[in-house]
Order: sequence, then C-alpha cells, then structure tokens
Amino acid sequence: MRIGVYFCTCGTNISDKVDPEQVQVGAMTVPSVAYFKKCEYLCSEEGKSFLQHDLETEKPDRVVVTACSPREYESTFRDCLAAAGINPYLMQMVNLREQVAWVTADGKAATEKAISYIRAAAARVSHQAPLQEKEIEINPSVLVIGAGPAGLKAANALAAAGRKVVLVEKTPVLGGMPVRYEDLFPNLECAPCMLEPILAEVVQDKEIEILTLSEVIDVTGYCGNFIIKIRQTPRYIVASKCIACGECVGPCPASTINHVNYGLNQKKAMAFAIAGGLPNLPYLDFDACVRSRGEDCKLCQSACPVEGAVNFDDCEQILERNVGAIIVAVGSTLYDCSSFPALGYGKSPEVYTSLEFERILSASGPTGGKVLKRDGSSPKTVAIVHCVGSLDKAHKPYCSGVCCQYAFKFNQLIKHKVPEANVYHLHRELVTPGKEECALFARATESPNARFIRYKSLADIKVESHDGATAVNYTDAAGKSGIITADMVVLCPAVVPAEASGELANMLETAVDNFGFFEELHGRADSAQSKIKGIYLAGTCQSPKDIEASMGQGMAAAGHVLSQLAAGKKLKIEPITAHVDELACSGCEICRVVCPYKAIGFDGGEEVSVVNALLCHGCGTCVAACPSGAMEGHHFSREQIFAEIEGVLQ
Amino acid sequence: MNGQNESEVQFEPKIIGFLCNWCSYAGADKAGLAQIVYPPNVRVIKFMCSGRIDPEFVLQSYRKGADGVLILGCHFGDCHYKEGNFRATQRHQILLKLLQQHGIEEARCRFDYVSAGEGEKFAQVVTEMTDAIRKLGPLSREPKLT
Repeated sequence: MRIGVYFCTCGTNISDKVDPEQVQVGAMTVPSVAYFKKCEYLCSEEGKSFLQHDLETEKPDRVVVTACSPREYESTFRDCLAAAGINPYLMQMVNLREQVAWVTADGKAATEKAISYIRAAAARVSHQAPLQEKEIEINPSVLVIGAGPAGLKAANALAAAGRKVVLVEKTPVLGGMPVRYEDLFPNLECAPCMLEPILAEVVQDKEIEILTLSEVIDVTGYCGNFIIKIRQTPRYIVASKCIACGECVGPCPASTINHVNYGLNQKKAMAFAIAGGLPNLPYLDFDACVRSRGEDCKLCQSACPVEGAVNFDDCEQILERNVGAIIVAVGSTLYDCSSFPALGYGKSPEVYTSLEFERILSASGPTGGKVLKRDGSSPKTVAIVHCVGSLDKAHKPYCSGVCCQYAFKFNQLIKHKVPEANVYHLHRELVTPGKEECALFARATESPNARFIRYKSLADIKVESHDGATAVNYTDAAGKSGIITADMVVLCPAVVPAEASGELANMLETAVDNFGFFEELHGRADSAQSKIKGIYLAGTCQSPKDIEASMGQGMAAAGHVLSQLAAGKKLKIEPITAHVDELACSGCEICRVVCPYKAIGFDGGEEVSVVNALLCHGCGTCVAACPSGAMEGHHFSREQIFAEIEGVLQ
Repeated sequence: MNGQNESEVQFEPKIIGFLCNWCSYAGADKAGLAQIVYPPNVRVIKFMCSGRIDPEFVLQSYRKGADGVLILGCHFGDCHYKEGNFRATQRHQILLKLLQQHGIEEARCRFDYVSAGEGEKFAQVVTEMTDAIRKLGPLSREPKLT
C-alpha cells in the first residue's frame, strides 16, 4: 500500500503553527506513507492542477490531504482524484486549519496533533474502498395530490416546464378551500378571482391530467420510479358531452346534506358542488340518489339536452400511473369544536365555525352571501372567539397563524354587510405577521363597532343559549367578568391535519410530526421536502399557513422536483449508504425500526433486511443499532473507524 | 525536565471527540474560523451523524489509550437525519451504566450538543472536558469490578 500525503500550508495559515518539516518526519514514520509533498494553496487552480498531475505521476494507492475543513474542500479534492483516474473515495482529509492551526496556542502541540491526525488518516484510508456513484433512469412525470392553492401552483409550474402531471383531487372541484371563500385577507380580494387565472391554466394544460373525485390508494416504488394506484369514484356525467347547462339539477327529486356548506343547507343529489367550480360539471351523489334505493328515476337524464351526457353506467375505476416524484398537498382541516362543550358548538344553533361563517359570507353559500341567522334575521351582535384550541397546551400548543387575520376580515365584512352590528373579539393573543396583514387589524381596532376582550383561558368562556338568545359569559385576563348577548358566535379553531393525512402518510411511508402534519426534511431549510426522497410537501398539510405561503411552498416543491429529477438526466445515488451482509443478518429488523427514511425493506423469503440505496441517506444509525454486525456503512465502516481510533491514539 | 519535578508535569489527557458532520463538526470549524484557542487534547473523529456512533467505538477508544471520550451531536430537533442524535443519547445513557460497572467515571464519557453556530460552546466543552479528565488522571486499564 502506497499512501501519498499532500500538505497544504494555506499560505502561512497552517504552517505558522504546524511545522511542515516536523510533520513530514512524523508522517514518514508511518510505514504505508510513501511520500509527503507540500503545497502552498492546494485549492487554487495551480494547486489543483499540481495535485492532479502529481497523482497521475505517483499513482498512489491511497491519498491523505492535510489542509482545511473537509466540509469546505473535500469535494474539490475528490474531483482532483477522479480527474487523475483514482477513485475519489480513496482519499481522507485532515483538517489542520480550522481544527488545529487556528485553535492551538502552542506550535509544538499543534504539530504533534497534526502528526497524530495524519497517522489516523493513513490508517483509516488504508481500509477505505473505492465507491461508485450509481445512476438510475427516472420517470419525469409528477403526481400532485390535492388541487388546492399549493397543489395547483405546483402542477401549473411543473406543466409549464414541460412535465406531465397527474393531479388527483378528492372533491368534485379544483381550488381547495379558497373556492369556498368570498373574500381573502389581507386585502379583501375576491377569492375565486384570485384562483381564476391559475385554475384556467391548469384546466387547459394538456400536460396535466386532472382526476377529480379521486384518491390515491396505493404507492409502491421509490424516488424516480413510483407506481401509483388511484381510485376514481363515478361522477355519472360524461365530461366530453356535458355542456354544464344545469338542466339536470332542477328535476332531481332527492335532497341531501350539502357538505360544501358544512351542512348549513341541503342540495340535490344531482348538483354542482359549488357555483362556478371547475371542472364545470355537475355530479351525482349516488348515495343520495333514489336510484341507490332501486328506483328507476331518470329525471336528470330526461332533462339533459345532450344525448349520453348523464351516464348511469359510470362506475368506479382503479387507475395506475407511473411517476418519478410525488407532491403531497392535501391541506388541513379545523380542530373539532365539540372538544369544547362550554363553547356550545353543535348545541347552540347560532354557534358557527369559521369555515361555516366563510360560507355564510359567500355569494355561493347557503344565504347567498347575506349575514343571516338561521331564522333569517340579521344579527345585531357577533362574538368571534379566537384561539379555539390554538396556543393551548391542553389542545394544540401552536399558533395557527391565520385565524386572527380572517377574524379581522370577518369584522370588516360584517361591518360592510350589517353596518349596525357590533363585533366582539375574544382573544388570547393577537397575531398579524406580514407586511399587509396589519391593515385589517387596524380597521378592526379603529371601528367603533368592534370590541376586544382578552381572555386567559378558554375555560373562562361559556356560551349558553336560552329561548333563541345566545349569551357569551366570560372572565377577561384582568379577572373581570361580563356577558355578551350575541346573535351569532363564530369560533376560530386551530388548524389541524386533514383526517386522511395519517393514512396517506402510511401509504407514502413519510413521517408525520407530533401534531400529525406531514413532517418536513428540515423546518427552516427544507420545509417543502419530506424525509423520503422523491416525496415533497406543499401547503397546510405540512404546517398551518396562509394562501401566500401555500402557493410559495407549492412553487418550492415544483422547484425541488425540477432540480432533483431533471428530465433526461439520470438520478445519482450517493455511494455513502448502509448495506447488509445477508449471511450475518438475523432478520431482527431493528435496523428497520431506527431508520428515519424507511430505506430498509425486508426480504421475507430469505428473512433478511435489504437496504434501498436510493432512499438511504447514509446516517449510519442502523449500522450502530445492528446487534449482529450485519449492517455496515460504506465509507464509515467499523474497520475504518477502528483504524482511525487506533491511529490517532498511537 | 528543565528542573521541573516530575510530579509537577501536568498530566495531558488523550481525549477522543466523536462529532457529527452537520452540527458539531461544523461547530468545531466555527471555533476555528473565530480562532478561539482551546486545549489540544481532543482528537476529532467525524461521523455523518451521531446516530452512527457505536458504543463499541467508545470502548475501543479506552482500550487504545484514550482517557476520555466526548460525543457531540446536534441539538434536539436539529438533527440532519431527523433523530440520530436522539438514538445517540439513548445509547450514551446505556453506555454510562456499563462504564460504571467497569469503574469508568461518568465524566470520561461526556455527551453534549453543539450546533453549527456554537463555536464558543465547542471550545468551552473541550476545555471543560480536558480539565475534568486532568483532575481524574489517566484511565486505569486494570480490570476493575465495583
């Protein structure tokens, strides 16, 4: 074994403290070290050229580079090895600048430390094996799950870059929650108008396959090559024939709860999910249809002016699609207000959740956009309870971040629609981050009709209704009690993960956090990536956020796909991964439990663990956990580390 | 010994530092960039993650002459690999019990958290560890049962 040592003096940054001559003497006592060469700036163009040519001439078996931190220049010097025809993983770097020269007072101690590090590096590198970066073909198509702001933005961006997108949406219409809103905070922009341009592009884009009334039911494969199974429930409307005239809706004799309006009114079994929703098609809720009870009703079909547009033979379909990446944008929901019996939700008829109140404000909602009580009268007083379950250790400790802002939007819209009404804000904290968000808050505080009451705990609020009147009893933060006679009470519940999030996360083998939100790779640096390669996150499925942030994250997820799964390029697999010695593996599966990336599968036939190198991030946690010594880490093997320990302590 | 009495020569402990790549090793680099001087006794061995640090490596360090072992990982919630640091702390806790049974003092195997920005903390931990092992003296490799 011939090891070549290259000593960079870094000008005098290293050689001021570490004596190159003495280091050379020390290094040459290591039996496998064949030569020691000094260079002034190894990272400079000259230095790199010298290194490459010298490696070509000397042809060492292994290389030790003593210079600065490997975090800075390891990849540079690996490239030099590769250019010289030496496997780049046959090099070990010694960090003499940041971790010896710059931090040691005494030159003698620094020189001794440098020699011990070189001994360790020489010992370690002798055991290092050549590693190859593997490459696999990728499928550039992308699955986007959820067609709310985040999913739409991602799909639109990917299609614009020429990617084929499969956009799967559970409901009959695209747009997610904003299609249910009238106006948006912070500037009362019309919600459907905000969505219109992007919706129009997505609907017309031939690269995007839109699957409404659809759910992902199975996912296999891995980054670059996923196989997706999708269940599409029948719409009973043939999209290519329907002209969206709505003639079929009128004669329908069956009614059912209107879930889009959170049960505030009824809808026909044959109906448009929401006025103006895209795709502009009605759908038949078969469970509500009298045909589900065996009746041969054909009133909708008879009313339809287009032959064959209503198709009772439509049936559930299981579709299979191949994609290289998945963007999860399934959104979120609101915390269940029945967790707070004292707030009267579900008992007092005039207690609403914020989403129900959004529908009351919406022109497409149950009251046509008028703020009306269930008895049809206008409210004189509305009480809005902020932080219902948010910032509450007993419920959700986090701030949902959007509630204060839509509450101030409600304030403004109530003032506009019922000018004489008083609005009470019962809040724990008030949060309005962002450059525009303060405006609605300012308007609420300046409004003579708005009152602010700060409470300490939700336990200090009790909503009671007697004879059609609703009373909000409260004790404020100062300990003062009061009663508000409210005609309507609006609760602002915490934003929580969508119900099906857990099931989908299991299917995708991605993690969820303590709250059940899809867990990001890194909270600050990589919130649009999941812990699983090839699976990305966008919107409120990852954390509560507003539309602006959701759209931004949708764009970020699309960017990740475009940069990590570049079309026409192969996917590189990092060689520093774990691998299993099948003969030593006892099949205990402990490795599978500790792997944060679900990168380890199990071969039931051979009863051994199998590492998927594509999913492995090379952390080595499984290697340390394996009780049989069957799991080993490329480039961080037991043998290499033992050699390094022994070398440095000699 | 230049007139010094042999007993006056300060014992210089050999300490192995196992550092994760993303936080602690970067923290050590940060100390370097800030040119914070600390005792030269710790020899750093880099891992991708503190979760890779097998208790075997700690024991091997003692066998091969280390007087102390310092394990540094990311702060909770900061682990580049999500939870490797959590596994590392679990293993450290168990290892301490084992070491105790062999008469190896707890201070000879310290676990701490150093982030990429905590150059000063890195220098402080190294200084504290070096002082602590200096006080304890060399690790006796005679088999002991307590």
